[in-house]
Amino acid sequence: MRVLIVDDHASFRSLAARMLREAGFAVVGEAGDAATALDEATRLRPDVVLLDIVLPDRSGLAVALELAGRPSPPRVVLTSSRSRSDFGSSFDWPRGCAFVPKHELSGAGLNALLSVA
Amino acid sequence: VSRRRPFWLVAAAAATVLALLGTDVARALDTGVADAGLAFFAPSACIGVAAALAVGRWPERRRMALLILLWLLVGVLDDLDWDWQASRTAATVSMLAFGLQAPVYAQMVLAYPAGIVRDRLERGFLAVAYPLSVAWVGFPLLFGDPRTCTGNCLPRVPSLVFTGHTLDLRTVGRVFDALFILLGAAVVGLVVRRLRRDPHGARRTRLPLMVAGVYAAAEFVAARVAELAGWSQAAAPLGWIERANTLLIPAAIFAGVATIRRQRGPVGDLVVELGAARPGEVRAALARTLGDPTLELGLWLPERHAFVDESGAALDAPAASPGRAATLIGPEREPLAVLVHAETLLGQRPLLEAAGSAGRLALENTRLQAQLRAQLAELRASRLRIVAAADSERRRLERDLHDGAQQRLLALGLALQLLRDNQGDPRLLEQAEAELQEALRELRDLARGIHPAILTERGLAAAVRSLVDRVSVAVEADLPEERYAQPVETAAFFVVSEALANVGKHATATSARISVGRLNGRLVVEVRDDGGGGAAATPGGGLQGLADRVGALEGRLTIDSPPGAGTTVRAEIPCASS
Repeated sequence: MRVLIVDDHASFRSLAARMLREAGFAVVGEAGDAATALDEATRLRPDVVLLDIVLPDRSGLAVALELAGRPSPPRVVLTSSRSRSDFGSSFDWPRGCAFVPKHELSGAGLNALLSVA
Repeated sequence: VSRRRPFWLVAAAAATVLALLGTDVARALDTGVADAGLAFFAPSACIGVAAALAVGRWPERRRMALLILLWLLVGVLDDLDWDWQASRTAATVSMLAFGLQAPVYAQMVLAYPAGIVRDRLERGFLAVAYPLSVAWVGFPLLFGDPRTCTGNCLPRVPSLVFTGHTLDLRTVGRVFDALFILLGAAVVGLVVRRLRRDPHGARRTRLPLMVAGVYAAAEFVAARVAELAGWSQAAAPLGWIERANTLLIPAAIFAGVATIRRQRGPVGDLVVELGAARPGEVRAALARTLGDPTLELGLWLPERHAFVDESGAALDAPAASPGRAATLIGPEREPLAVLVHAETLLGQRPLLEAAGSAGRLALENTRLQAQLRAQLAELRASRLRIVAAADSERRRLERDLHDGAQQRLLALGLALQLLRDNQGDPRLLEQAEAELQEALRELRDLARGIHPAILTERGLAAAVRSLVDRVSVAVEADLPEERYAQPVETAAFFVVSEALANVGKHATATSARISVGRLNGRLVVEVRDDGGGGAAATPGGGLQGLADRVGALEGRLTIDSPPGAGTTVRAEIPCASS
């Protein structure tokens, strides 16, 4: 499975990439902001985008919506250093998006998440 | 004022009745005194005196009344028309009175309503008119030849010192006639000049009598022209004009009184109304009595050096917008208040001033209240700002923690997870250690930003020095090792910290100077830089937050930052050593 990692922290990106590779994912690219993320998604056509909710230029949620509107969209897994409860029960999650808090991120976890959805 | 009104009206009515009765009695007795002119004249003058007494203030009233009485006196003396055969002296007096009638009348018109002529040109006119009038009647009295004299030299009076010389009195009379035509024209000119100069309100008071004065002057000039041209029969219609004019005088004075009453009446009402006005109603009361619903009231706050309205909100500079004018109440340097009103009210300056002084006490009260409100509003606003500043500070802390240390620790977590499967991988270990070090450093910085430990432990001077060590520009600092109360030191520290942060951020400065010292029981902290200037406390900005922090300690923060001339941030905080 081809993965694009979008996060503005380089050390997180590199460590997450290594972790996912070790779990058998093909990490095809990394992006540090929303604009790059959209460009890379067009260019690389990944199957999965691991997307941080807080990006320096735009919200990750906006990126998720835009990706979802494309033909044959990638699966989007949102991530954040906050946990799901921090966003509240009435938070408007984009349709079809999975969520994993950063501190729970693992290759196995991601696999499970993708097979369920 | 209003309580006196009935008294003077009754006095006027009584005087009128008495005068009419008196003339009738005199006529009945057939003493020769009861001239038809007197019947008009005496009551008119009495009404005039009463009216003059009813308006204005002492001694103006008395002066005006005396002037009208003088006019009555010369009028009566002239009207008596004593016959030469009866009494030489009486006839001479009557003659002089005849001559004085015109200048006394002119003085009365020009002096109304103050009872005194202050204008230099008008005084000059009177100084010419009086001697000329006396000379006019005196000349034939002294030198007239009773055998040849006709017309102006009044043959009813034989010459006192007729020398037997043939003196052509007709020529002299013509010269006088010509001079009096000029004087009559001068009266008209003076009246027109006065009306043009008078403010609107004063004009309304004076106009009726001025019209009567112009009318009389025109009549006088017409008589002199008739004399010159030799139309003796012109005297007949002029006699009626004279009577009509006599009636015009009390009417005119009454009209003036009515105008003054109309203007002063509201002030009387205002005194009552302002006495009962509740706070916040003074503007409305003033607007009502001055007849200007758009009237704005600005109360001067000396400590702010600005005007505020009754609610304590800042009033825009009462600058002249079209059609608006401002009238200060109280001394110009330290006014009590300002009225911003329609420009047309300017014509009623006496009314404005009267309203101002009538309302002084109420205004003073309102000002104190406005002052209190303004302080309260400022206090509320600063309290809100302090709360808002605390909120935004917490948001900033959350963001800093989230973006800084937390991210580092998350990365550390990932690295440890990977290390579990790749035991002993030196690159992973290195990265994990680096993340941990960064997380610790960021937590340290954050803690120092919340409250520097060095400030608590070693005081302001040491804390400021540690700030200075971390800025890139050259800083000269004058820092006594004195300790102050904790809140004072904290506020002073943040003043320096914020000012230095601004130096680094915007000021394009190359050097800065910090001075800290005690002055008159206050800790004075000053940070001066040589940058581009133009700094100001903006809502929600760091400098505003500082001002509130310093204000909460009863201190004052001033920012002097003219564009291009550097910035000086200065805080003065009341302090006691601890």
